[in-house]
Amino acid sequence: MARVYNWQLGREMSYWYPESRPKRQFAAVFDINKCIACQTCTLACKTTWTSGKGQEYMLWNNVETKPYGSYPLAYDLKLLEMLDAQQWSGNRYEGKTIFESAAAGERVLGWRPQAQDYAYPNVGEDDCAGQVDHGAFLSLPHVNWFFYLARICNHCTYPACLSSCPRGSIYKRPEDGVVLVDQGRCRGYQECVKACPYKKVFFNPLTGTSEKCIACFPKLEQGIQPQCFVNCIGKIRLAGWISPPKQARADNPIDYLVHIKKVALPLFPQFGLEPNVYYIPPIHAPVAFNQQLFGPGAAEAMKTYRNAAKDPDLAGLLCLFGSTEMLVARFRRQGDFVAGSDEKGATVVRVPVNEPVYLRPAADPKNQLVRINCP
Amino acid sequence: MKPILSVGAALTAVVLFVSSCSRQPRRTPEIVAVAAAKLPDTPEDRAWRAAPEHLAKLIPQDLVEPRLMTPSTPEMKVRALTDGANIAFRLEWSDADKSDAPGPSQMVDACAVQIPEKIEKDLPDPQMGQPGKIVQVTYWRADWQATLDGRGDSIRDLYPNAAIDHYPFESKALEPGSAAQKEMALRYSPARTLGNIRSGPRNQPVEDLVASGPGTLSPGPSLGAKGKGVFSPQGWAVVICRKLPEGLEVNQRTHVALAVWQGSRQESGARKMRSGWIPLVRRAK
Repeated sequence: MARVYNWQLGREMSYWYPESRPKRQFAAVFDINKCIACQTCTLACKTTWTSGKGQEYMLWNNVETKPYGSYPLAYDLKLLEMLDAQQWSGNRYEGKTIFESAAAGERVLGWRPQAQDYAYPNVGEDDCAGQVDHGAFLSLPHVNWFFYLARICNHCTYPACLSSCPRGSIYKRPEDGVVLVDQGRCRGYQECVKACPYKKVFFNPLTGTSEKCIACFPKLEQGIQPQCFVNCIGKIRLAGWISPPKQARADNPIDYLVHIKKVALPLFPQFGLEPNVYYIPPIHAPVAFNQQLFGPGAAEAMKTYRNAAKDPDLAGLLCLFGSTEMLVARFRRQGDFVAGSDEKGATVVRVPVNEPVYLRPAADPKNQLVRINCP
Repeated sequence: MKPILSVGAALTAVVLFVSSCSRQPRRTPEIVAVAAAKLPDTPEDRAWRAAPEHLAKLIPQDLVEPRLMTPSTPEMKVRALTDGANIAFRLEWSDADKSDAPGPSQMVDACAVQIPEKIEKDLPDPQMGQPGKIVQVTYWRADWQATLDGRGDSIRDLYPNAAIDHYPFESKALEPGSAAQKEMALRYSPARTLGNIRSGPRNQPVEDLVASGPGTLSPGPSLGAKGKGVFSPQGWAVVICRKLPEGLEVNQRTHVALAVWQGSRQESGARKMRSGWIPLVRRAK
């Protein structure tokens, strides 16, 4: 194994191949606090990419209710149990990754779901962490919670799927870091299905090959965000490019959220893949739970997000989520407006940070009636 | 009742043949390819009795990751016949579970015959060859056999209760079987679009492959591979037929390496039981 640097762990780690970062890395930020689990993203992906034979059960994008939901069943709990308790020391991970925990003869610590593990993709939907007794809604702050976790392939910097394939059928595109299964070369050994801790590689039983999210790369190549981003009703998603921490730019939306404000965090960084989908943690969920999912930065990220209204640049950038179909490479706030531009500097979107609000009295004495203000 | 009787009779014949082979094995330390006027298409064919049996010992693939850490199939019975143009192998091994339905975590039974591309003194590495020393691999799979034996090629043939909403390429607006419909269906199957021979559809349960080291297996020039596998309570008996190795004259030798995968034990790809090189001699009788 080679030694590579994983900035999410704050240390070097062992990986099957030497470090080779792409020219630029596709990345995304999902604001969990805004997700309503409408599954529009799921269907946008499904109808675009997985309507073929053998793809019936596949959801390259899914939204699960935490803490009880998971797709495939218990994908996260099983691996956390296999990995066992591990330690962080501040922002440095002292535990073992799934590469460092691989048993003799294996490349990665992993497990492979059974067919029935895919049978209930929305198991645990809207189940909250505790029983809500009659009248519980009156006692605030409420102790019972749940949130929605939208998931796609993380197009990891150190993909476990790629490292596990004995044929080299999985590759990471040097131009954008998108991780793809070569459908002409794959022979369906399902090693990648076993290795991916997020279980975002799926075996197609009719073509005998494994398939996965392609980050809608034909759209990326045209400077457009993927289907699950542009169809998001809750405007929770922003796609872009992430830089390594030392090259972070304050005007790059993803860099700003991940590296500068540190309000968006990777999912299960302890697995060691350096995943490139980042989440703004749910501020109403317990810190301990968020830390297990998103690492040691969770508490600070929750605090930063709670104060976003007092941070005009952060608040402005959050307004760009779901505001344009185009990929936003740069952003800038001027007064009460925030603008996004493409890589050539051309403005692709401009929106107000604060939407105008009009308050109309319910009572209309002139016409002697009472109006209802509908949102 | 007739079909049931005939299936029963066929199964009995297989069992009798298999047991008769095991009762009177004329075993040889190498694989002897005996001349035959016509090569048998099925493992039950009585013509196989003319060939002596070689008992190939198998070991786990434990040289490259991912390895097979727990040994499974210990040995394989091998017979070979040749008509001067092609060579047919009859491979037989014990397997309690028939695994011929692919799916998530459902691996399928399979076997393969590997022969050096060239007959030379200095043999390639027995495990998939090496750079500059190509091996030819003829590979049989139980799921391909199942579809050729009549199982359909749809998700409901694998999962009878599967719920299917809609396939866009089977829309009412498209005439079934039309060029436009076929072209659209292909677009929804990327592996088939790219001509991945792994992905079917196919007319034989075997495929011709070449390799020059672990992880390099790829489609090879056609060696006219064909085959037939039959499962019985004793396990699998499989015929794999391909072109006679180039330059293999009567009384000359080349080498064969074998591999077996038991689907029920999650064996697939590099996780397999394999042999080392076994001498193969061609005899006139």
